[in-house]
Amino acid sequence: MSPAYLLRRLLAVILVLWIVTIAVFAITMVLPGNAAIMILGEYATPDQVAALEERLGLNRPAAVQYFEWLFNLLQGDLGMSLRLSLPVSEVVGSAFANSAMLAATALVTVTVVAVPLGIFAALKRGTKTDLGISFLAYTGTAMPEFVTATLLLVIFAAPGNPLLPAGGFIPPGESIAGFFHHVILPAGALSFILTAHIARQVRSEMSDVLSSDYIRAARLKGMRERRVVRGHALPNSLAPAVAVISLDIGYLLGGIIVVEEIFAWPGLGRLLILALENRDLPVIQVITLLLAMVYALTNLISDLVIAALDPRVRYE
Amino acid sequence: MSELVRSPTGMVGLALLSVVAVAVVFGSVLAPYDPQAFHPAVRLTGPSAAHWLGTDQFGRDIFSRLLTGASSTILFGVGATALGVLAGSVIGVTAGVVGGWVDSVIMRTLDGLLAVPDLLFTLLIVTFLGGGAGEAMLAVAVAFTPGMARIARSSVLSIRTREYVLAAVARDESQAYIIGQEVIPNAIGPIIVEATIRVSFAIMIGATLGFLGLGAQPPSTEWGLMVAEARQYMYRSPWVVAVPGIAIAVSALGFNLFGDALRDAFVTRGRR
Amino acid sequence: MPARDGIAAQCSVLDIRDYTLDYETPHGVPVQALRNVSLSIRPGRTMGLVGESGSGKTSLAWAIMRYLPANAAERSGRIELLGEDLRTKSDEEVQNLRGRRISMVFQDPGTSLNPVLRLGEQIAEALTRHRGFSAKEAREESEAWLARTGISRPADMMNRYPHEASGGEKQRVVIATAFACNPEVIIFDEPTTALDIITARQILDLFDDLHDETGVTALYISHDLGLVSRVAQDIAMIDRGEIVEQGACEEVFGRPRHEYTRGLLAAVPHPDRRIVDAAPAAAGNLLDLKGVNVSYGERKSILGFLEPKREVVRGARDVSFGVKPGEILGIVGESGSGKSTLAKVLAGLQEFEGTVEFDSRTYSRRRDIDREYRRTVQIVFQHPDASLNPRQTIGKILSRPLKLYNQLSRSEIARRIRELLRSVLLPEEYSARFPHELSGGEKQRVAIARAFAAEPQLVICDEITSSLDVSVQAAVARLLVELQQQTGTACLFITHDLNLVRQLAHRIAVMQNGDLVDLFETSQARAEERHSYTRQLLDAVPVLLDSGRQGRDS
Repeated sequence: MSPAYLLRRLLAVILVLWIVTIAVFAITMVLPGNAAIMILGEYATPDQVAALEERLGLNRPAAVQYFEWLFNLLQGDLGMSLRLSLPVSEVVGSAFANSAMLAATALVTVTVVAVPLGIFAALKRGTKTDLGISFLAYTGTAMPEFVTATLLLVIFAAPGNPLLPAGGFIPPGESIAGFFHHVILPAGALSFILTAHIARQVRSEMSDVLSSDYIRAARLKGMRERRVVRGHALPNSLAPAVAVISLDIGYLLGGIIVVEEIFAWPGLGRLLILALENRDLPVIQVITLLLAMVYALTNLISDLVIAALDPRVRYE
Repeated sequence: MSELVRSPTGMVGLALLSVVAVAVVFGSVLAPYDPQAFHPAVRLTGPSAAHWLGTDQFGRDIFSRLLTGASSTILFGVGATALGVLAGSVIGVTAGVVGGWVDSVIMRTLDGLLAVPDLLFTLLIVTFLGGGAGEAMLAVAVAFTPGMARIARSSVLSIRTREYVLAAVARDESQAYIIGQEVIPNAIGPIIVEATIRVSFAIMIGATLGFLGLGAQPPSTEWGLMVAEARQYMYRSPWVVAVPGIAIAVSALGFNLFGDALRDAFVTRGRR
Repeated sequence: MPARDGIAAQCSVLDIRDYTLDYETPHGVPVQALRNVSLSIRPGRTMGLVGESGSGKTSLAWAIMRYLPANAAERSGRIELLGEDLRTKSDEEVQNLRGRRISMVFQDPGTSLNPVLRLGEQIAEALTRHRGFSAKEAREESEAWLARTGISRPADMMNRYPHEASGGEKQRVVIATAFACNPEVIIFDEPTTALDIITARQILDLFDDLHDETGVTALYISHDLGLVSRVAQDIAMIDRGEIVEQGACEEVFGRPRHEYTRGLLAAVPHPDRRIVDAAPAAAGNLLDLKGVNVSYGERKSILGFLEPKREVVRGARDVSFGVKPGEILGIVGESGSGKSTLAKVLAGLQEFEGTVEFDSRTYSRRRDIDREYRRTVQIVFQHPDASLNPRQTIGKILSRPLKLYNQLSRSEIARRIRELLRSVLLPEEYSARFPHELSGGEKQRVAIARAFAAEPQLVICDEITSSLDVSVQAAVARLLVELQQQTGTACLFITHDLNLVRQLAHRIAVMQNGDLVDLFETSQARAEERHSYTRQLLDAVPVLLDSGRQGRDS
C-alpha cells in the first residue's frame, strides 16, 4: 500500500465530511421551521424572535453563517449548546466516550458470534442446522432495536427481582463489574439484529467460497476436509466478512440512538434525542458530523484490513 | 414466478405477506371491536375468548388495534420505499447515463449522504419537518434515496456495457430509446429486488419513529406507537408490548424473505 | 516408476465398465449423464475423450475422481484403477487416492488456484499430504517440479500469489502439482482452453515432455479434435452420455465409423478446405483506416485526483489497412492484441485518433460517425447470450433496424422479418419467441440476421463463433459466408481461430499488442516473407489432417 493511496483515501474522507457539513447545515437551514421559533416556542412574539435571531446571527445570509460555522469548526470551536449553555465540546466529549464503549462492546459481541455462526451454517449448508440458523437470522433481521430492547427488558429486568438493571450507566473506571452489569442489555439489544444480518451475509460469502473452483481443486488434490476448510476456505472468507461488518457499522450507529434512549445510556444517541427535542442546533450538527466521521473512518480502516487479508488487493 | 413459490423462503415470505395484506386491506372490517373504545372493566387482561390478544391499559381490544394499525404501519413502509426508489432511480439513472463530471459530483454527494446513518438522517429531517406520519414517511424516503440512487446507477452501468446495448448504440438508436427500451427494462430487476428488501427496513424505521414519538401520533394504532404507549405497563402484562412488536417483526420478515427469494430467482435466471 | 513396471502392457490402468450415471432432479425425472460407458486406458498411453458441451465428458471425469454431487445416482458399472473398483472405496480411501494415484489438471488456472495462498504452498501441501515430506523437503521438491515444468525462476515463483503470475505460469503450477506425487493417472480437463494460442502451444509441448519423461497414463478431455489428435494415441468420442466410438487415433479420425464422428470431423475447420469463392475484383477500397490510434485509461473526471493513476494502455497503435467491397478480411491475434478494439472503433463505439474513410466519406472522430455510416456498417458480437435484449422478442429485435433505417409499413416489416428468419434458416414462428428460448447457435443466427437486415456494405464479426460448439460453429460460419456472398457485403472477420480464418478469409491481418504486424493474401499464409509472429501463431495451432494424423499444413 502506497502512501499516495492513504493520502488519497484521507482526502476522500475529508471530502465526504465536507459534504456532510453542507448537508447537515442545509437540513437545519432550508427545511421549514425557523430555529428561533423552535427555541422560543410557537407563542413567541415577532420581537422576541428577531432579538434571538440577532443574537444567534440567524438573520445573516445562509452562506455567511455556514462558512463562519465551518471556520470555527476547523479551529476546534464547536460552539455553545443553546440549551445547556455549555461548550458543545464539553457536552459531546464524555457522551462520545460512553457511546464508544457501548458500540465497541456490541461490535465485539457481533463479530465473535456472527462470523463463526455464518461460517458454520455455510459448512452445514442444506442441513437442519443450517436451516435453523437461517431461520434465526431471518427473524433477527426483522426485529428493530426497540422491539428487542423492550422484550429484553420484560424478560430480564422485570421489577421484583431483576436479573439485570433496566438502564443506567456505571463508568468502568468506577466499577468494571458494574459497567458490564449495565452494558449487557443495551449491547444485547444492539447486537441482535446485526448478528443476524452479518451471520446471513457471512454464510452466503462462505458458501460462494466453498463452491469455488479452487476449493474443488483442493479437494481433488486429496486434501483433508480440515485443511480444505481452515487452510483454503477460511482465509478467503475473512476479507468479505470484514467488508460486511464495516458496512453494518452505519446501522450500528443508527441503532445506538434508540438503544441509548431506551436504556438511559448517557451517550451521543441520548444527547442527540435531547438536542432534537430542544432544537439545540450546534449539538445536533456536531453529533451528526461526529457519527459520519466515525463511519467514514471505520470504512477506511476496514479497507486497510481487507488489503492485509487479501493479497489480490494492493492499493496503489 | 413458479421458481419463487417453490423455494422455501419464497413460500414462507409469500404466506406471511398474504396474511399482512389481508390485515392491511380488510383490517378495519375484520376488527371485532372498535379499536378506540375504552373498556375500563377489562384493562390489561390476557388473551381470552372475548379478546384474543388481550386488552391494553384502557381496556381496548389489542387484536382490533393490531388489525386497524396494519395499514398505517405497512403502507408507511411501502410508501416511503416507493418514494425513495423513485427519487433514487431518477438520480441514479441520470448519473449512470450522463456520466462524466455530473456522475462524479452526484456520486461524491451520495457518498457524503451515505456516511450519515439512515436512522440519524431520518431523525434530522423529521425533526425539522415536524413529527407526524406523513413527515416521517417523507423523511424515510429522503434517507433511502442515496442508497437507491447508488444501486440504480450501478445497475445501469452494468447494463450499459452489455452487447445488446452496444448494438443499439452502434445502430444509432436515439438516447431515449436506448434508455427506455434497452437499459431500464433490464436494470429494473435488481432495483425491485432491493426495494422489496428495503420495505422491511422502512417498516422498522417507521415503527421506530412511532416509538420515539416522531412518527404516527395518538390515537393512531400504528404498531410502533402501540409499543411506546404500552411501555409503562409492560412488566405487568408483557403481551401489550409483545403483540405489536412481533407483528412488526413478522411483516418485516415477510418482505425480507420474499425479497431474497426474488433475488435468487433473478440471479439463477441470469446464470442460465 | 516401480509401481508401473509390474503391469503387463495389455492390461489397463484405468478401466471403466458399463458405467451409467444419472442426476436426480426435483421434478422426479432424472437426467441421464452417462449411459453404459466403457473405456480403458493402457499404461503410458494418452486417451483423448472428445465431445461437445453437455456430452458428459466432464461428468465422467468427476465420476473417476469420485467427486459427484449429492444428486448423482450411479446406476451401474465399475471404475477400476489397476483392478481396484473405485466405487467401493470409502471416503477416507478416496481422499488418500486423490492427488496421489489419480490427479487432475483443470481448465482454468485462473480459478483453480487459491487466490490467497502462495503458489509454492499449493504444490507443497500435496507433497506433505501424500508423500509424507517435511515442510523443507516439500519445498525443495516443489521447486524442482516447477523447474521441470519450465518455470525459469522457480524459487521466485514459489513465493508468488496466483494473481502475480501469468495464465501460462499458473497452468504450469497446476500441472506441476498434478505430477508431483507421481500418480498413475492424470486427467486433463481442457487444460489449454482458457489460454492464449502461443501459451496453449507451450503447455501442449510441456505435456508431451512430461508424458515422455514420466510415462504417466492420461485421460485428455477436449472439444478440439485437432488438438486431441496431437496429444492422444487413443480416442473415445462421447455424445450425449454415450461413447459412440473408441480406438486408435488414426483409426477413429482416419476411418470414422460413427456418424457423429464423421459429422464432427467435417465441422473441424481446416485451412485447405476453403468455403468461399475468390474475392470479387474491385478497383478501390470500401473502407480505409489511416493511422488509427486508441488509448484506454486516460483520466477524464474532474475528481480524478481521488482515483489512482492508471497506466495508459494502447488498444491500437497507428493501424492502417483497407477493405475491398465484397471481401472477407480476417483479423487474428491473441487476447489483448487490439482486434476487438478495432471492431469497436469501426462500429462507432470507441473514441479514436486518425481517420476512417468509408465509401468516400472521412471520419476523424467518433462523434462524426453518422447514421448513414452506422446503417452501412453493422456489427455482430461474440456472445449470443448478451447481444440480444432478453426482454424483447426476436421479432422486435429484428424490426429495430428496419424501423430505424427504412420507412416500412407494419406488414412490410412483418414480411421482412419472416424473410430474414428464413435467410438464417430459422422457422418463422421464432419471431414471437424470447432469446432465452433459443440455443446459442440460434441466437447467433438472429444476431446475424439483425446485422443483415440493414442491408449493410460491411459487417464486422467480432469472434462470432468462439463461444459455440464445433458443429454449430461450422454451421454459423457457413451461413455467414453464404449470406455474405449472396449480398456482396464486405466482412471483417475477427477471430483467434487460425484454421477457421484460413477457411473463409480472402486476406488476413495479424495484430499483436495493438500493432498490425502482418497483412497477406490467405494463400500466402505459409510464404517465406511472413512476419515471425504470424509464423509463430500458425505453428502453434494443431491441424487435423484427413488421415487422422496431426500435422503441419502446407
